[in-house]
Amino acid sequence: MAHVSIPSYWKTLPQRYCLIGMKCKNCGTINFPAREICISCKRKSEFAPEKLSGRGKIYSYTIIAAGSAPPEFSEQEKLAGSFPVAIILLEEGLKIVAQITDYEPEDLKIEAEVEAVFRKLYEEDKVIRYGLKFRPVKKRKSLSCEVPNWSKTNL
Amino acid sequence: MSIGILGYGVYIPRYRIGKAEYVKAWGQFAAAGIEEKAVPGFDEDSVTMAVEASMNALNHAKVDASKLNAIYFASTSSPYAEKLVSSTIAMALKAPSQVSVADFTSSTMAGTSALLMSLDFVASGRGNFALVVASDCPHADPSDFLEHPLGAGAAAFVVGEGTPMATIEDSGSATIEALGERFRKKGEKSIETLGIPAYTETIIVNTVKSSVKALLDKMGRKPSDFNFVVLPQFDGRLPSRIARKTGFEETQFIPSMIVTQVGDAGAASPLIGLAKVLDEAKPGQKVLTTSYGAGAGSDAVSIDVNEEIIKRKVAVPSTKDYLSDKKYIDYIHYLKIRKMI
Amino acid sequence: MQKVAIIGVGQTRFGNLIDKKAEELFAEAFLEALNDVDKGIDISEIQEVYIGNSGVGGGQLGNFSSLMTDYLGLTGASALRIENACASSGFAMRAAVLAVSSGVCDVALAGGEEKMNDTPRNRLRYWLGISGDMEWERLSGMTFAGVFALMAIRHMHEYGTKREHLAMVSVKNHKNGAYNPKAHLQRETTLERVLASPMIAYPLTLFDCCPISDGASATIVCRADLAKKYTDTPVYVAGHGASTDRLSVFQRNDVTSISSSVIAAKRAYKMASVKPEDIDVAEVHDCFTIAEIIAYEDLGFCPKGKGGKLLEEGQTEIGGKIPVNPSGGLKSKGHPVGATGTGQIYEIANQLRGSVEKKNRQVSDAEIGLTHNTGGSGGTTVVHILKR
Repeated sequence: MAHVSIPSYWKTLPQRYCLIGMKCKNCGTINFPAREICISCKRKSEFAPEKLSGRGKIYSYTIIAAGSAPPEFSEQEKLAGSFPVAIILLEEGLKIVAQITDYEPEDLKIEAEVEAVFRKLYEEDKVIRYGLKFRPVKKRKSLSCEVPNWSKTNL
Repeated sequence: MSIGILGYGVYIPRYRIGKAEYVKAWGQFAAAGIEEKAVPGFDEDSVTMAVEASMNALNHAKVDASKLNAIYFASTSSPYAEKLVSSTIAMALKAPSQVSVADFTSSTMAGTSALLMSLDFVASGRGNFALVVASDCPHADPSDFLEHPLGAGAAAFVVGEGTPMATIEDSGSATIEALGERFRKKGEKSIETLGIPAYTETIIVNTVKSSVKALLDKMGRKPSDFNFVVLPQFDGRLPSRIARKTGFEETQFIPSMIVTQVGDAGAASPLIGLAKVLDEAKPGQKVLTTSYGAGAGSDAVSIDVNEEIIKRKVAVPSTKDYLSDKKYIDYIHYLKIRKMI
Repeated sequence: MQKVAIIGVGQTRFGNLIDKKAEELFAEAFLEALNDVDKGIDISEIQEVYIGNSGVGGGQLGNFSSLMTDYLGLTGASALRIENACASSGFAMRAAVLAVSSGVCDVALAGGEEKMNDTPRNRLRYWLGISGDMEWERLSGMTFAGVFALMAIRHMHEYGTKREHLAMVSVKNHKNGAYNPKAHLQRETTLERVLASPMIAYPLTLFDCCPISDGASATIVCRADLAKKYTDTPVYVAGHGASTDRLSVFQRNDVTSISSSVIAAKRAYKMASVKPEDIDVAEVHDCFTIAEIIAYEDLGFCPKGKGGKLLEEGQTEIGGKIPVNPSGGLKSKGHPVGATGTGQIYEIANQLRGSVEKKNRQVSDAEIGLTHNTGGSGGTTVVHILKR
């Protein structure tokens, strides 16, 4: 049974835990996920880490029906049934794919504003794999402004 | 420049289960004074809750994670019995690699232990900024009444040098060897109790009374010198019982009560209660935060609120915001996502 | 460069063929292709063998081609297993055509085979996911249907395509497949039934997804100038083209189009010196209903975004302007992953020769046909243009 090995998963933790994109020093394109050859200028480049804000909008989505998810998510399916997965267009202009969590059915629409949250993705061989999901941005009742985004913490 | 609380934040999961669901299932809700409690989602645990509370705290304090020198995590429900989850939190916050980390576990006193430790860390000069996050979702067997009040939540504090919104003046502590009132043997998933409520309550009251007395004696203060007191809130009635025996009034502890809506959030409860108080506190007011950990121990921490508290009302969700963001679930759903069936 | 002709084609029934081993299936298709060479051919004339197989379920993953040549009595030929997910045998065909074009051989065999139904359903989920982005899409819980669902939702948002349009693809292809004795599913269906069937990945229902099939197909190709030695009805490979796209759908600039299809088709049209409107019949890759609608646009059968309209107007029915998937497509004919590509060649060759078994599936006067075979969510695509 193939799977993403721990060393492979570990290599991507900066992306999975804290949305670090790699900015190409040649052309300025943010490569996410990280790669050797810049996707834009197609040259082996040097990259500078850049933390993405975690804010974005739903670009497209689907709801994966319970019973069909990849094997890593069979536990989740049992607990929580079918779940939405979306392509999110991040503020920085690039796209990411992730589950949507803490949502109501009406939150699933294109252009809906979402923000990254740190959650459990799945467990394999008793090791918990954490990563990012996205949840709908909500206006807080007591404040006139929205929940602050990630980027303010770790510039 | 002084050392104290530069900022804080909480996280309470949005899912709630109400008293009525338990009554339907069990004929009663054995959680005195609790209306409803918070439930972590299927993809949440004490680590994920800690990350969000920590981000709120760092935002509130306007301290970048790259400045942290220590990260302390406190919980009785870490997903690992052995693995540093403060490391996971450090990575998620993108703290620098060279930080001091520690996981405080084993009792619901862990939150205040970690808070005091972070103060000592900065005061000793070993570092400038420390993050302490208490995050908990205690677990018991669903057929045990002990399970009924158990909830979930997290609170984080950034302690460091600067213009703090609140300063930690002093603390008192106490310990009593106590057997069987709340415990979880190694390898067990659920907390247990010998089931002698009067015995349990006596121990809690005596231990807290002792730590409070230690502090008051040290500081030459009376209970009425404090505007607010955060008391152990394992259920909704306990704080008033402890208050009566320690000389505090309802007006002092009511503002810190979160258990009625969140349930027993273990090691996080004292710190969430403190956060709720600080959300409303005015400069010059004094807060006494107490904790209790089974086995047993208690901390009593005296906190002075400074001028800075007014200036720092930045765009971070308050305790009230999290308390009012709720989605109710039924008992079956609860059992499923808490992996009890 | 030599021109290439198809001199024989064969295909097994596609379906749940539990009692046949992989090599038996391929042998069946091969023997039919051999038999289809109406003036006869000696097996020893086949010098190059290319068999598409994506390895679902494991099995003979190493030296698969040697297992096949052994079973077929082709030991001694140069043989290769080709894997490009669902486009494996389309690319096997391409390899065979290139081998003959290059002059390195006169006759080559291309084909494909897949057994999917002897893998337990829960393990099958894993195998269905290996052709996509393993790290990011899969670990976000994405499934193969889910990736196409994302394309559908976006297509619906940008162009007003409706769930009903998706269902129409299914209805049309089931209608065609009902008259294909080799189809996996030979039963017509209705729009209502498709819309009401269980959701797999919103908005795609069970009836928007192709079935899990076993099967094999084979094509024998040779130098065009030698074709008449073997058959009076050769079908010529007028053009071909292939391309790749970003593996992960979320990395693509436009998720309502599969750029590997667009580029592969452009290359094929150029080589064949034809335009999309010259195509008389096509077999396109409808692994999911949305994929067929997107294919109409990618292949230039209609402007971008107008795929739903083309369908609504009935233009892609048999008898319409551009009949698509007269075999029933992947939706009804079935999709044994490795065998689909040369299965499409089988259908188009028969359409161009006028030798389709059931006459109500026969497109009349088809001169130029097109096959469109895509791997996974579009990571690879190969297009062939055939002429009679």
